[in-house]
Amino acid sequence: MMKFLFMMIFMIPLCFMKNMFWLVQMMLFFMMFLFMNLNLNIMCFFNMSYMFYCDIISFGLILLSIWICSLMIMASESLFKLNFYFNFFLFNVIFLLIMLYLTFSVLNLLLFYFFFEASLIPTLLLIIGWGYQPERIQAGMYLLFYTLFGSLPLLMGIIYIFNDLNTMTIYFLKFFNMNMYLLYISMIFAFLVKMPMYFVHLWLPKAHVEAPVSGSMILAGIMLKLGGYGLLRVMIFLQEVNLKLNYIWIIISLVGGLFISMKCFCQVDMKSLIAYSSVAHMSMVIGGIMVMNYWGFIGSYILMISHGLCSSGMFCLANINYERLHSRSLYINSGMMNFMPSMSLWWFLLLSSNMAAPPSLNLLGEISLINSLVSWSNISMILLMMISFFSAGYSLYLYSYIQHGKYFQGLYSFYVGSSREYLLLFLHWFPLNMMILKVDFISIWF
Amino acid sequence: MNNNSNKMFFLFILFFSTLISISSNSWFGCWIGLEINLLSFIPLISNSKNLLSVETSLKYFLTQSLASINFLFMILIKFSLLKNFNMNNIISIMMNSSLLMKMGSAPFHFWFPNIVEGLSWMNNFMLMTWQKISPMILLSYYFNKNFLIFMIITNLIIGSLGGLNQTSLRKLLAFSSINNLGWMIFSIMISENLWLFYFLIYSMMISMMISLFFLMNMYFMNQLFINNMNFFIKLNLLINFLSLGGLPPFMGFMPKWIIINFLLINKFYFLTFIFMMTSLIIIYYYIRIIYSSFMFNYFKMKWVNLLMKNNMSLINLSSFISISSMILSTFIFM
Repeated sequence: MMKFLFMMIFMIPLCFMKNMFWLVQMMLFFMMFLFMNLNLNIMCFFNMSYMFYCDIISFGLILLSIWICSLMIMASESLFKLNFYFNFFLFNVIFLLIMLYLTFSVLNLLLFYFFFEASLIPTLLLIIGWGYQPERIQAGMYLLFYTLFGSLPLLMGIIYIFNDLNTMTIYFLKFFNMNMYLLYISMIFAFLVKMPMYFVHLWLPKAHVEAPVSGSMILAGIMLKLGGYGLLRVMIFLQEVNLKLNYIWIIISLVGGLFISMKCFCQVDMKSLIAYSSVAHMSMVIGGIMVMNYWGFIGSYILMISHGLCSSGMFCLANINYERLHSRSLYINSGMMNFMPSMSLWWFLLLSSNMAAPPSLNLLGEISLINSLVSWSNISMILLMMISFFSAGYSLYLYSYIQHGKYFQGLYSFYVGSSREYLLLFLHWFPLNMMILKVDFISIWF
Repeated sequence: MNNNSNKMFFLFILFFSTLISISSNSWFGCWIGLEINLLSFIPLISNSKNLLSVETSLKYFLTQSLASINFLFMILIKFSLLKNFNMNNIISIMMNSSLLMKMGSAPFHFWFPNIVEGLSWMNNFMLMTWQKISPMILLSYYFNKNFLIFMIITNLIIGSLGGLNQTSLRKLLAFSSINNLGWMIFSIMISENLWLFYFLIYSMMISMMISLFFLMNMYFMNQLFINNMNFFIKLNLLINFLSLGGLPPFMGFMPKWIIINFLLINKFYFLTFIFMMTSLIIIYYYIRIIYSSFMFNYFKMKWVNLLMKNNMSLINLSSFISISSMILSTFIFM
């Protein structure tokens, strides 16, 4: 496990050398390949060394973060061509990857918090440094302050746990029972803000829209999953309070997911629509985790992985359109099938995965989540039915608006789609739709 | 008057006076040290050619001598009237108040941003770091815990809310210094070693920032956008301010983390909450300062050019220390 950390640290000098942009991306693919060959054991922590470990869920999330980071570099070729501080951009991406890798693989809860917070700084730099509009400053502020407001009580909770239990090892936390209401609120609030839950979700549309494509990809792909991962780790020692109080979060997130799904139909900005759809998917993830049965955990984990790939792919598609038309508005991006029919295939594949059509991984996640939530209460059938229906609705709405119809008459010429862009989208779609053939290694946790 | 031997003389007496104050056996020795401190700081900051400097040194003299007189009077009353060692009485409150006024802590802070506005950066550095040593250590000898907890809360709130409407960089750092005084007063209540740790890291971070502002000759926030800053200088500014705000993974997170640890050991839960929320407000106005570093291309004036080629190594070294000191600090346990 430490070997990957050293590989990433030694990629940092590579970022600053001349003409090494694509080599860094290739090295990240190479690291992904090496990481996939780790011995995978279920139901235990494996590959333990000084301060690292690997579990099924952290294995999958580290794989996802390496994958998305390498695809981020592939998507940002325009930074390289226009010579816009791409060395520092590569350093930012590698630094962010190191922080995410460490978040998912350290044994100590306080170090988890440290790297959880530290991953915010490169994200902030990505949004404000390489974003496109002046509103990105406010977006960065919202991101930083919403997340910090949630996570400072988390620090308090972690240090309180240390003073009480004299251990911070994540593995040992399952032997303890810390059933205090205030500790419960302070521990999970950070992850609920990060997820995001409905009432504290305001940072997400701003940050996703104002970020450049790489920032949007990493935010939708992994940063939201940090909240889910944290919830999965922290709820183990708070089980009694969970059973008493989780219904609040389930109800808020499900009803909120319904409202957000309806709000998706009112969006004019493509990226804003994809951002709100992220909130709706994550609301189901929160619902699934909070129910605390096994199908809920597994469904939310599968939905996290698949949503990471799917949303990130959709942001890539939105950026492909943005680079050609310089607008994210649905009024201008219409009738694209007339110009880029091959891209229309990728829009359809990724949007159909977003609405959880078979054979995508989202389908498996949603089925497991629907099962678990309905087993918790029959009334959630209504909410889940409407959320799934509306997610199909707005995915089709986005597809139909962008691809069909008459095109905007003010367009100039642009080229259809380079191989790099097709490869980017293929690499998003392929794990999403092919991993359904072997789901053991994402669905057997304990 | 940079290489003036008069200033060297007074600087030497300044250092010596602090040592007298903190290492004396009796309270009179402490008072003598404080008086010599005041006496030797005044020539350092007053410059007879500049009217603002003269006015600043006069204001400093008035406030500090008031505090010293108060301190002396309370010492005498303590000696003559009260023979007990009870720390929860009015005399300890009065002694602590006079020492807090010497430091510039709330609610006796009103002179502090005013005077900081009138001093140059190097004098500010002396005022914000060295001048706090002797009142802090004297505070640790005889403090009233309940009174100081209330003062800590006042410090935190005034330090965070006072800086929100400022545009002068010196006043911003003054309010941030008042906020950090809140953290330092709490650490003094735990142990002197802890205070020393917090104080050393705080003065290292402040010295990095003040040396950067001094080299660029920047006193106001609009100058951050006018100057044509090198990329490394911008990065250094960014890292230093985020570090001062206490964000991981920078060096400034470590003292705050350790103090929160001691806060929670002693069960000060609500106080910890106030510490954290006020530090969020502080991070807000730090980020307002470093907007110019976040955005890589902004409207720059072409004729303002900073020649900083001679000082790059120091800047790079300080950035490197701020980023990597959390990791390097684990080596001390080997």
